[in-house]
Amino acid sequence: MRRYILRRLLQGLVLLVLVATIVFFLGRLTGNPVDLMLPEDATPEDRRALTETLGLDGPLHQQFGIFIANALRGDLGQSIRHRQPAVEVFFSRLPNTLLVVPGAMMLAVILAVPLGILSALYRGSIIDRVAGTIAVLGIATPHFWLGILLIYIFSVQLDWLPTSRMGDYRHYILPTVTLSTFLLAGFMRLIRSSMLEILDSEFVKLARIKGLSETIVVWKHCLRNALIPVLTLWGVFMGGLVTGAIVTETVFAWPGIGRLTYEAVIFRDFPLLQAAIIMDAVLIVFINLIVDILYAYVDPRIRLAE
Amino acid sequence: MRHCGLLKGWLLPVLLALAWTAVAAEKQEGTLVIALDTLGAQSVDPIQETRSPHAHYQAPVYDALVGFNFENGGKGPGVAERWELAKDGLSWTFYLRKGLKWHNGDPLTAHDVKFSLERTMSKESISSRKAALRRDVKSIEVIDEHTVRMYTNGVQVDFPENLSRATSGQEGQLMPKKYIETVGAEEFRKKPIGSGPWKIVKNVPGDRIEYEAVDYPHWRGTPHFKRLILLLVPEESTRVAMVRTGEAAIASISPEALKEVKAAKMKVVSVPGTMQAIYQIYGLYLPESQKNPLADKRVREALSLAIDRQQIIDHVMYGEASWPLPFDIFQYSADTDIERWRKWSREALRYDPKRAKQLLAEAGYPNGFELKFANFAMAGTPFMSQIGLVITDFWSRLGVKVKSTHYEFGSFAPLLLGEQKQLVGVVSMYRTAGRPVAAPRFYTAFHSRSDHHLLGRGNDCPELCKTFDELHKAVTVEQDPVKRAEKTNRMIELVSDAWFAVPIIEGMGYWAVNPKKVGAFKPIPGRHEFGDVFERMPRPEQKPWQ
Repeated sequence: MRRYILRRLLQGLVLLVLVATIVFFLGRLTGNPVDLMLPEDATPEDRRALTETLGLDGPLHQQFGIFIANALRGDLGQSIRHRQPAVEVFFSRLPNTLLVVPGAMMLAVILAVPLGILSALYRGSIIDRVAGTIAVLGIATPHFWLGILLIYIFSVQLDWLPTSRMGDYRHYILPTVTLSTFLLAGFMRLIRSSMLEILDSEFVKLARIKGLSETIVVWKHCLRNALIPVLTLWGVFMGGLVTGAIVTETVFAWPGIGRLTYEAVIFRDFPLLQAAIIMDAVLIVFINLIVDILYAYVDPRIRLAE
Repeated sequence: MRHCGLLKGWLLPVLLALAWTAVAAEKQEGTLVIALDTLGAQSVDPIQETRSPHAHYQAPVYDALVGFNFENGGKGPGVAERWELAKDGLSWTFYLRKGLKWHNGDPLTAHDVKFSLERTMSKESISSRKAALRRDVKSIEVIDEHTVRMYTNGVQVDFPENLSRATSGQEGQLMPKKYIETVGAEEFRKKPIGSGPWKIVKNVPGDRIEYEAVDYPHWRGTPHFKRLILLLVPEESTRVAMVRTGEAAIASISPEALKEVKAAKMKVVSVPGTMQAIYQIYGLYLPESQKNPLADKRVREALSLAIDRQQIIDHVMYGEASWPLPFDIFQYSADTDIERWRKWSREALRYDPKRAKQLLAEAGYPNGFELKFANFAMAGTPFMSQIGLVITDFWSRLGVKVKSTHYEFGSFAPLLLGEQKQLVGVVSMYRTAGRPVAAPRFYTAFHSRSDHHLLGRGNDCPELCKTFDELHKAVTVEQDPVKRAEKTNRMIELVSDAWFAVPIIEGMGYWAVNPKKVGAFKPIPGRHEFGDVFERMPRPEQKPWQ
């Protein structure tokens, strides 16, 4: 297991270097932040002065050399827009995203597990059809539209909840529900199909023949096996949620890293964009490593093979 | 007895001052909440911001040397009550108001003005007009505590404009010399102080800025609210929802939201003269462009006559836009014969497809021609690309085969630089922003040394280009106001008759207002941002909406 973890960490490091290089060069192909920082009546000398002040006037390979040298010391540059170390800006917003993502994940899992199981147990019934509809709606409904709709109903019309922004516990409800909808749909479908496969397997038949109650057969034997692929999906979703909740963060004016990354793209804030994507990559590598380790513990076959 | 007299002598003014302060403070209550689509760099240090959002969130805290004409738009008295150009035209003297102070009680003097400008021009500053200031300012001299003289390189008749928020920049914003030199720049950014009617209480990056009103009378207006909060809410429908629920008193909106806002019985405040949507044509001065249909002035005029601007105002802008004046001219523009240009624009910018077809036929294109069009929107004016779609449709009806490419502005902007090889013969959307003086924006578009150089560049500067360069120079150095007005109007005429940059509509800034959360107020014409208006916004019970 130790060798496995070390190997994965080394692979992650190589991946990060590749990501940093690609983001550095691709970002600079998209334009000059100075164009977006100056007003319409700026003169060429205004542009030259600002380009020089921001350190964007050197040749690209020179800028890359400086970036790598600094990155090795943990310095990913200064945000052009915020005039602060890019990593500091990123970490100042990360907690805001982490406040809402676990809630969304938990809500999705709490609802998806029983719905997926019931859907599998009562295949073809009204429960299965309702669950299927929820799944389709959850996947097909754009987050953006759902968020705006929830604001309209629960804030504007009913005045039950605040429209947006961070605040007390009520501020978390709508963004959490919006984020969890897609997750719920994905988890539920996977749990259902996993359960259906496992319910037909030989060991389940044996468990029933041995006289175990249906509750124990389903919740102890089937569910544990059904959750293995769900774990993989959890890792994929978690990484995507943390790094890409940009739509929800925009609709609900939530100052998280999804929105920060989007703003870095729009304003060509190269250092911040690089820092955000590299940190996102670190998070995803870390989450995937956790998933793989958990996999090994949940499924003894994988542990033995390693 | 003498002591009693003296006692009474100083006691009365003190009591009066206390009473005045108490009255002023007593009238301040409640929190004014504004939802904005942008807070720019959200930096509390004026030298770390480059664009107009500073006029939302820095303006409450920092006064500018030159201020506004609140009624008509354009510049007016600021911290400087008045200013004079020397007879030789090589210096400006600014006379400051007396009795102004910083939030920590230190007096605001001419030393602070000198310090502020020098700081704005310093190496660490990313102020957008730093280079221009460095070029224009030779030296700054403190004459006395309330008088400062700025020596310019050459005659700079529009110099005071550059120090007002009525133009684009934050260059005239004043910073406290003694405080910054004592605590250092880093500490200043953590605990900023200014001389404005609001003090910063809290700055949460990506979320909000909170302010508290000063509790003494302020020359810009003593705030009626005790607290001010600017919220960053990027999504427009969320901002509108916040106004509807009362979570925000005011929110910035685009024309699309006007209908919903009015249907929800919220008020709409439109700020006139904030911008023009225009289209402009590149590279026609080059020898290789002479065969391009657009090189013929009749074709260019035809494109304008093919556009039904009233339809765009009514249906794209939902009635909340105006018929434009010539390029970068607004009702508050200085040195301009507004009445003349108003008549001109009604006639010259009319919708006349019949005449447009005639002109095309005369030019040798009765069946139209091919045209490349670059469509995009710029920050703060998302409706530009919709207007672009509409005008290409009008041109198609004229028989022009339009090949339209949609850009995100950040990827179009680099194409404007240098030789503009990819833009030769291309028409693109663009905009002008409301400014009291037209010369700088004319420079950007038409001067041979500017970025856009629509009339010519370097050795490729034909007669029109040379004439413009000379006329522009004459405008910027002319000290006699009558002659300057004459030259400005000639410059406008030269550009208008050439049809290289053509206004489509005059846009406005739009705001949704909850009348239960804020009283009736007037914006400053030409200034979309409300940073200089917050202190003049009454509470709803003080001045209800009609």
